[in-house]
Amino acid sequence: MSDEFEFEIKRKDGSGKTYFQKYNVPKDKVSTVLEGLLYIKENLDQTLSFRYSCRMEICGSCGMEIQGKPRMACSTIIEDLKSDKIRIEPLKHYKVIRDLVVDIDPFFDKYKEVKPYVIRDDDGKYDKELSQTPEQFHEYANYAMCIKCGLCMAACPIEGSDPSYLGPAPLAAAWRYIADNRDKGAKYRVEVVDGENGTARCHFAGECTEVCPKGVNPSFAIQKLRKTALKIELASIFGR
Amino acid sequence: MVEANKEIREGIWSWAKFYRKGWDYFAFTMHRISGIVILFYLYLHYIVLSNLLHPGPNGIDYNKIVTSITVGPYDSFLVLDFLLALVIFYHGANGVRLALNEFGIGLNKNKALFIIFEVISMILLGLFDYYALQFAGVKF
Repeated sequence: MSDEFEFEIKRKDGSGKTYFQKYNVPKDKVSTVLEGLLYIKENLDQTLSFRYSCRMEICGSCGMEIQGKPRMACSTIIEDLKSDKIRIEPLKHYKVIRDLVVDIDPFFDKYKEVKPYVIRDDDGKYDKELSQTPEQFHEYANYAMCIKCGLCMAACPIEGSDPSYLGPAPLAAAWRYIADNRDKGAKYRVEVVDGENGTARCHFAGECTEVCPKGVNPSFAIQKLRKTALKIELASIFGR
Repeated sequence: MVEANKEIREGIWSWAKFYRKGWDYFAFTMHRISGIVILFYLYLHYIVLSNLLHPGPNGIDYNKIVTSITVGPYDSFLVLDFLLALVIFYHGANGVRLALNEFGIGLNKNKALFIIFEVISMILLGLFDYYALQFAGVKF
């Protein structure tokens, strides 16, 4: 085993041509991929660009393709990758701004489409606290863990072939609010998620769930959404 | 709906990258590939059937096609039939699982459902192959 990790990072030159730049990072200086990138930035190449903030898998900023799979750089322990060569690329299915920094605006635009907030039908004029049992809380708790890192969007094969597809994270967010007993907005969200670019596009590859750093299960949520949408559509047909 | 960014589109190539991914991704990829094979076969079937009434220089003669594919001592057309049956049985079994999942059934036992349906379909495929060979005159 070598004393150094070899980081291969995908970059672009002035003419827009992509290439892999190699950096040697001493093993005793780093344990996570983000630490490796910071070592490069501080000691080897200040022009390297990447995005990070909290360093503790909460902000969702440092998502990138590490060894061909979307991961958070801050929580990826290099030893776990079982290789001295670490290949790093920007997240797939996003427009690259520079080096490992991608434009995540389209992801948040899709997220907003599903109205990710509690919708009430009483204009907030309730006279007592909205109570919730532990069972009701656990109905949506898993989906509330989403940190909006967008890794699931980069892993989804449908997202890659059809960028107009809403995608796993927005659909999981839709289910998070529909499953919340305080929310009354299911019929508004179903109009969006049951459309051409919604749940119908999902073919259950399950990779979104596989790559989620927080253990959220978007593929499960999408199937639950389908069932709910079917119920609402049937109810509307029979005038309920 | 947000405007789709065509620059980042990977196309159908993204369907086939199942290397180093989980069993569900493999199931997804194989479902797509088997679906394309079945679709191809469907059109091939239509073309052949629709030309059966018009054999001759401009039409397609079914017997000629079969004869052209069948080369050597083995009936290679039968091998293609078996491969077609394999993809149909795989696609059908996985399709039943996906249909159940879409109705919210068995979501917590997704992998188990996949294995159960695929095992059942492969047993049925074995039976199909056995009777197909008997029909073709092969003695066991």
